[in-house]
Amino acid sequence: MSIVFELPQELNIYSALETRDALLAWVTAQTAQSKGALEISARNVAEIDGAGLQLLAALSNMDQAWHLIDISVPFAEACETMGFGSWIDARYLKSNTEVAA
Amino acid sequence: MSSSIDSDQDFIAAAMPAFISEAGEQIEAIEMLLLELEEQPNNRELLDSLFRCAHTVKGSAGIFGLNRVVEFTHHVETLLDKMRDGHIALTPDISSLLLKCNDQIKFLVDTASDEGADTAELKEQRADLVTQLQTLTEGATSTSDGSSASAQQTFASADVAPQDAALRTWSISARFGSDTFRNGMDPLSIARYLGTLGHVISMRCGSDTVPTLLNLDPESCYISFFMDLATVKGREDIEGAFSFAADDCELAVVAPETPGQKLARAIDAMPETPRLGEMLVQVGAVTQDKLDQVLSSQQKTAGMPHVAQTKIGDLLETQAGVPPEAVAAALGKQQKIRDNAPSEDRYIRVQADRLDAVINLLGELVIAGAGATMLAREARNTSLTEANLHMNSLIEEIRNGTLGLRMVPVGETFNRFRRVVRDTASSLGKEVNFEIVGGDAELDKSMVEKIADPLMHLVRNSLDHGLETPQERTASGKPAAGKLTLSAKHETGAILIRIEDDGRGINRDRVLQRAWNKGLVEQGVTPSDDAINMLIFEPGFSTAEQVTNLSGRGVGMDVVRRNIEALRGSLRLNSNPGKGLQVDIRLPLTLAIIDGFMVSVGKSKFVLPLESVVEVIEAADRDTKVDAAGRHCLELRGQVLPVVRLRSLYSVESTLPERVSVVVVSSTRGQYGIEVEVLMGQQQTVIKPLGRLFKTLRGISGSSILGSGEVALILDVGSLGELVTGQAIASASTH
Repeated sequence: MSIVFELPQELNIYSALETRDALLAWVTAQTAQSKGALEISARNVAEIDGAGLQLLAALSNMDQAWHLIDISVPFAEACETMGFGSWIDARYLKSNTEVAA
Repeated sequence: MSSSIDSDQDFIAAAMPAFISEAGEQIEAIEMLLLELEEQPNNRELLDSLFRCAHTVKGSAGIFGLNRVVEFTHHVETLLDKMRDGHIALTPDISSLLLKCNDQIKFLVDTASDEGADTAELKEQRADLVTQLQTLTEGATSTSDGSSASAQQTFASADVAPQDAALRTWSISARFGSDTFRNGMDPLSIARYLGTLGHVISMRCGSDTVPTLLNLDPESCYISFFMDLATVKGREDIEGAFSFAADDCELAVVAPETPGQKLARAIDAMPETPRLGEMLVQVGAVTQDKLDQVLSSQQKTAGMPHVAQTKIGDLLETQAGVPPEAVAAALGKQQKIRDNAPSEDRYIRVQADRLDAVINLLGELVIAGAGATMLAREARNTSLTEANLHMNSLIEEIRNGTLGLRMVPVGETFNRFRRVVRDTASSLGKEVNFEIVGGDAELDKSMVEKIADPLMHLVRNSLDHGLETPQERTASGKPAAGKLTLSAKHETGAILIRIEDDGRGINRDRVLQRAWNKGLVEQGVTPSDDAINMLIFEPGFSTAEQVTNLSGRGVGMDVVRRNIEALRGSLRLNSNPGKGLQVDIRLPLTLAIIDGFMVSVGKSKFVLPLESVVEVIEAADRDTKVDAAGRHCLELRGQVLPVVRLRSLYSVESTLPERVSVVVVSSTRGQYGIEVEVLMGQQQTVIKPLGRLFKTLRGISGSSILGSGEVALILDVGSLGELVTGQAIASASTH
């Protein structure tokens, strides 16, 4: 089990069930090992929708701290559009850089 | 499968009458709101209600598959929506158009189950209305898309930011249903699309309701979002973004507000909280510290006798700087809690037939009660008599309560006339201020229905013949706009409906001349002023030189009088030539039960409506000769009083008693006497209709069953008066 969870390329309704199971398994395994913040990478995410974002919102509602370490442009854009800007490091936000443009 | 379709159809067929009746109410409301909106074009609430009504009609018509209604109403709704967004202002032309459209909707609803009623001509008319509606809505869209702020006509409401009429900030909140993802919808793409409409000022996703990963059903949607969007687009465009998810999404698009309005709304949305200060603290209009400060300063002055008490609301405004709107809203909320009478939801809909059945039974109960009392009295059993008395007083209470159920405010009928007055006046080129007074006076429902047509006729008559054109009015020193008042009030057991105008009144000379010409009055004979006025209600009488399509055909006014008299009502005219005309209609409050005065002749019993009885005198001579119609005269305080002897009129055969009495009654024809033999006193009388055979019997309006099981005939004072004072009647009974 890797230390960083890699979100799939398709983070949407089609993969939601699968991703949820994988994410849940990983979170359970990680929390058993250490108490530190979980690290999630979204660098491969190319397709994303509300169902995909909802998975991370569900993760946020757990007691476990987590943060993103790497993100793709579509992912940043989606987070910002949906009002989840706080998940992302400021350097990825549209207003500061042109990354998401 | 087919059985489920059948049951669906059965359901629709069963629910259809309820739909038509409810849609009818909505349509009436639309008309009222439009007319009110004409007077207060900036009233946002009226406009919102108007939109809701149209939307409701469309929605429920959709359920019943009435596509013609849905299609047509949709265009109306679109126009109303543009008006709500401030792209179109209500002009008299638009109002007329909408009224016409409303008529169409009414027609379509009324003929919902009758395709054949929709002729090609009507279809064409409707298509024309749709074109007009579309021209208006498309015109408005193009100006808003072109973002030419100056060309936009706007409502002076909170929807419009004062500095920039085109760019507005909308607060959008959307709560998505759990099936959103499964239905192929995505909140993210909706948010993305909204972003293209303008500038997203803030966006917050409500994810608190999302379960933890462990409990999450990843295919169900739990999220909601709250967005502030600055855009030149209107409400329709914003709501359009949700159109595919609409069924599965709780959406609120709120127009921008000032801070004061925001607080006011928050207070409105609060659960019932009784104290003013608490409410304001809760919404953050004032801090608790500041409130305490204000309260203590109020308490300091409380004991001082010469210092006027300042209200806490005023103090909060002046000392704590709370916006006046917030204080007003909080006070309004308190008032609402105090009144604690939400007018809606407190009604139940009852079928009129059921109510009628109850009232019929009640009539039987009154009769049975009277019978029981009589038997108890005969049995001379004190406790039985007492028990009966108690029962009878309860019956009387039930009677009053049950009859009260049928009472409806007469204002509902009056309001219908607003449209008639508006349309009639404009077609005649007259200006009229129409006023309704005392619309909350109540009247029996069946009476209200029956009085509507005669009233309509009288109102039209006032508009057509009474009120002058603006030129004529100005020339005679009156204000250009005429005044027409419709009022209602209760008067001892009756309702008085008055139609009053400040027109030209009745030209008595012309009326008299015409009556002579038509032979209604003998040449050269000049009746009293009142009698001349009443001539306009004679059959075949019409003074209008020019017959218009509204009135003046010479039919109608006599029908008006007949209809009113059929309701046991009376008509009175009070004409002030050159100044105006007042038509008074007096109607009994109910048709079912009256207070009667019972008399008898031989073995026959008669009941007179108590309110018509003036006095009772002893007849000096019981053998006075009478004519063929049973009439004679006697002198009452120096006046001649025509008297009808019931014994002769109805050929009652029995031995003549030693003494006879004359009951003096008043009718529209003046006072006259009815000679009777025994006076039996006051009695609650349940009115039963006469059988068909007796319908033609003159002077009798109905029958009643007495406690003893006997039948009493109810005298019709009006028509009996005609018999007594009329010219020559061969025989009273035509049968």
